[in-house]
Amino acid sequence: MQFRVLVLLPVLSSFALAQAPPPADPILSAMQQELAREKSDLVIPGMLRPYFLEYRLEDIHTYDAIASYGALTRETESHQRVVRVEVRIGSQTSDSSSARGDGSLELAPADGDPAALKYALWSATDDAYKNALRAYATKQAALKNFQSAPTANDFTTAKAVTLIEPLATLTIDRDDWKHRLIEASGLFETSPETRSFADAVHYSSASISALVVNRYTVNTDGTALRHGYSGYTEGVNVGGQAQDGMELGRSNGSVATTAAGLESSAALNKRVVDDLISFNQLRHAPIVDPEDYHGPVLFSGDASADVFNRLFVPNVEADRPDIGTSARTQGVYQSSFKTPILPTFLSVVDDPTLRSFEGHSLLGAYKVDDEGVPVEPVDIVVHGKLMNYLVGRQPVKDFPESNGHGRAALGQSAHSRAGVVIIKSSDPLSTEAMRARLLALAKEQGRDVYMVETLSGELAPRVLYRVSPDGKRTLVRGAVFDELDQRAIRSGILAAGGKPYIAQQVAPVPQTTIAPELLFGDITVKRANEEQQKLPYYPPPPLPQE
Amino acid sequence: MDDSIHSEHIALDHAHRLEADTSLTSPDSYHPAVSRFDFLQRLFRHAVIVSLCAPMMAPAPTAAAQDEHATQSASTAPQPVLMDAMATELHRALAELGSSTEPVTASKQKIPAQKPYFLSYSVADAESVTITSQYGAIMNSSASHERTADVQVRLGSPAEDNTHGTHRASALTTMALPLTDDRAAIERTLWYATNRGYGKALDALEKVKTEQQVRAREEDSSPDFTAERPQVDILAKEPALTVDRSAWESRLREISGIFRQYPNIFYDTAVLQATHETDYFVSSEGTKVEAPNHVARLIVAARTRASDGMDMFRDETFEADSAGHLPDQAEVLAKTEAMAKGLNDLRTAPITEPYNGPAILSGRAAAVFFHEVLGHRLEGQRQRGDEEGETFTKLLGKAILPEFLSVADDPTLTQYDGHPLSGHYLFDDEGQPAQRVQLVQDGVLDTFLMSRLPIASFANSNGHGSAEIGKMPTGRQGNLIVTSTKAVPEAKLRQMLKDAARKQGKTYGLYFEDISSGFAVTTRRSPQAFQVIPLVVYRVYVDGRPDELVRGVSIVGTPQAALRSIVATDDQPEIFNGLCGAESGTIPVSAVAPAMLVSQIETQRQAQGTARPPIVPPPPLDDAAGTSSSPKGGR
Repeated sequence: MQFRVLVLLPVLSSFALAQAPPPADPILSAMQQELAREKSDLVIPGMLRPYFLEYRLEDIHTYDAIASYGALTRETESHQRVVRVEVRIGSQTSDSSSARGDGSLELAPADGDPAALKYALWSATDDAYKNALRAYATKQAALKNFQSAPTANDFTTAKAVTLIEPLATLTIDRDDWKHRLIEASGLFETSPETRSFADAVHYSSASISALVVNRYTVNTDGTALRHGYSGYTEGVNVGGQAQDGMELGRSNGSVATTAAGLESSAALNKRVVDDLISFNQLRHAPIVDPEDYHGPVLFSGDASADVFNRLFVPNVEADRPDIGTSARTQGVYQSSFKTPILPTFLSVVDDPTLRSFEGHSLLGAYKVDDEGVPVEPVDIVVHGKLMNYLVGRQPVKDFPESNGHGRAALGQSAHSRAGVVIIKSSDPLSTEAMRARLLALAKEQGRDVYMVETLSGELAPRVLYRVSPDGKRTLVRGAVFDELDQRAIRSGILAAGGKPYIAQQVAPVPQTTIAPELLFGDITVKRANEEQQKLPYYPPPPLPQE
Repeated sequence: MDDSIHSEHIALDHAHRLEADTSLTSPDSYHPAVSRFDFLQRLFRHAVIVSLCAPMMAPAPTAAAQDEHATQSASTAPQPVLMDAMATELHRALAELGSSTEPVTASKQKIPAQKPYFLSYSVADAESVTITSQYGAIMNSSASHERTADVQVRLGSPAEDNTHGTHRASALTTMALPLTDDRAAIERTLWYATNRGYGKALDALEKVKTEQQVRAREEDSSPDFTAERPQVDILAKEPALTVDRSAWESRLREISGIFRQYPNIFYDTAVLQATHETDYFVSSEGTKVEAPNHVARLIVAARTRASDGMDMFRDETFEADSAGHLPDQAEVLAKTEAMAKGLNDLRTAPITEPYNGPAILSGRAAAVFFHEVLGHRLEGQRQRGDEEGETFTKLLGKAILPEFLSVADDPTLTQYDGHPLSGHYLFDDEGQPAQRVQLVQDGVLDTFLMSRLPIASFANSNGHGSAEIGKMPTGRQGNLIVTSTKAVPEAKLRQMLKDAARKQGKTYGLYFEDISSGFAVTTRRSPQAFQVIPLVVYRVYVDGRPDELVRGVSIVGTPQAALRSIVATDDQPEIFNGLCGAESGTIPVSAVAPAMLVSQIETQRQAQGTARPPIVPPPPLDDAAGTSSSPKGGR
């Protein structure tokens, strides 16, 4: 893949369509040529012409490698291009689009051949137009079934924007990383700290995953965008069972915008060993109390980020409501505009203009969204009240304009998606003070309380401690939370603070959440009571002698 | 717990988020690191036609396609580390499994521990290269190396085990193995998979026992597993795959670039696939087999649509033992050009009308026909089971074809008349040596394609137990060879067609030059119909008018009637090489047959498509951006 010359034109163009400056990228030029031809020629006689056309080319480069038990099991690399064409028929008030989004996909030439690229666009455009005609007719008929009109238009206007950013390239020392993975995945038996329980480790793997996407977008508004992003993820996954069959494991890693930004080899090895030791501790830990606990739980920043990502963020991303309803959007906050949804000392902002935080490069940062709308910080929650939803070009009631959050997963339509979500307290406590508050509650209530370090999927605790009033911590296993819901975050958070935790993800769209530690006053902790699996029917092979 | 400050962190304590490791957490999927981009997978499946038994043209290879490995004597190569690790771990598993009493999960009583009566490890170590091209450009060019293990666990006894009836899949667990010969890692991975497999087998065995008590007596109460002699044969493994990717990319650009001259063809693809694979098989019966296999395929396909919405497609496959032995560029270009022109002509051909009369199937068409109509129905496992139609089960020893036709299946053949055969193998996927099998002799049904699943009439495998990785083997075809003792020259056969048509009062007979497989419906619940898709059909006029291409033909009928109406054949067998999909997955196959005259074939009009052809013509090729109408390519 050739390097393109750095052409950075952060132009927030107010030019009309015909005067948009030609971009300096041959792929964008080819796309624009075909777009112009289709805009002029595409119509079935007697049927509606499209009122909006958009072409998007995604150049996707991935590299993945996994090692298991100290040997490489898989290494794959792929580089392919896909075009996505979106055609809209009707008008902004009511058009052919569905809530899920509609686009036609085709493979595009990996070698940049302009004739083949245009051919792929032509083929996808033909499909997309025919589908849009059908969809428009069906939708207009469906709308006639309902008494009231939809609560918002289907699409908003946007100014033409030209922004050509440097191309991203996948850069990673593959050999070096393979060696790291091989070594890390084998530590369970080679490390003196873990060898004594190596037989109990049923799986031990380490993996690296690199994704580099360069996106080219042109549309009939006159927008031309070129934007690249990279996400590198590495992680370890170790685990097995306790003596009673309970499946236990630890799996975690690091995410960065460059391979160099991932943790060092030494840090990776330390992580594996720490995880193995933690797994072993979990194996020997007592099961959580059989009777339910309802009371204070201190969530680490890591755990709090997961809570917000699950309970809060998806519900402030505005999506088109179901057809025929008078709702504003989907989700539990659809009718909470300007009402309290968090405690008054918490505010939340989404600021994709923030590119780094405390020295870490943020994946969720961007200048212009995937629909060509520039982004500025959005105050989602101000002193506990919901003041803004995140909106793309699919408007919702009271939010007729995009605020630059129309972001698309690969191959998908753009939807309202967060970028860099920052949860802040107006009265943050230090880490020590948070602990002290927790212990104070324990003393007050005359009982043990809980603190959670990290969660697994479904917001279940993975590393959970019972804490006595004198501060003694006991690791426990086999627990789940209950009543960890929107009510808990609205009226159950007593304090926030500690060191902010940066949670990052690469897919479906690159996104960052920065969250403080949170002290909840009343969360339920109870036994999972899951079916225990059988222990292995026979022991693993004996470890090789040192 | 304080986090490191080197870099961004995310505590991914979500086992499901580390998608890269699905190989361990869900070993039943043999695709670890499943692509995050499902939509890309779907697009690729459309781009690379995995033809369900599609007929393909046999190339004339430029060099003799010898399989040198087949002539090497057994056990001359030393046992590789991988095989050694497989054998060691397999025997350890046998020794340790079931050596203590354990309660089975469902019941409360302690039952005697179950030792597997059979255990096998089958590993496919495969390197492959795939290059995909469309419209003169390269869409994808990639290489891969995978090692995958299929672990098979059988509990109970050969008379009744955990695979009985609908539980066949319970025996199989599939897992990715280390790519390097790291003994300890290989053994530990095999242990993990075997342990999972043992648990599945225990669970299934209990279900089988309960179901057997409750159900009505089965029609065929044969055992679940045959008794066979162990095989030992260690052949040299495949050398590393080398493909000159940039040379092939040039060639593919030129090949698919031909379609730029045909604006009415709206989809085209040219794909090169080359694979070097070594298969290792070790079983508790003492079988130890290592066998190489290698293949290269060049597939060209295209689609168009008539103005009335009817979709038409054509494809050609060129096959050889290696990429270097595929036909030269001139030959491929000529055939691609012919295909493109033919497809273009088909767009404007008149639509057929329903027809009931005589027809000739070309050799290629007859080969596909026999594969679908006869071959699938002679698979052993289809003669047994509540759901199977069992068309031929009771016809052993009876005439099912005219007496001048015989049918054999011979996977030991590497080529036929100098052309490579796709269905060649040395050992099947159950470690049994490939055998030539005479299915039909002089029209009389003699035997079936047998895996190690016995049936009422046959208690042994005949080396036809095949499967794709991750599936349990069943009886499958290899190289199906149809021979005739009533062979006449092609011109004579044509004359016989006209005579038959005239006699039946028809103005024309039909000539099926090319057909694609539809699907063979062999189950009890559906009517015994079959559908093959005619691609190129001509009317052969009785009065000597030139042959006329028609479109929209679809054959209907029942299998037995179709086979019995064959009247004569020509003397020029043709070959189709393809990929065939069925319950045990997609495997390479071939079929060889002469052209056939059938006295009665019934056709109907194909269902009308409703899509319009593309609305706007394709983008002009020569314009200001300097796009060339002929992409670079060729030698």
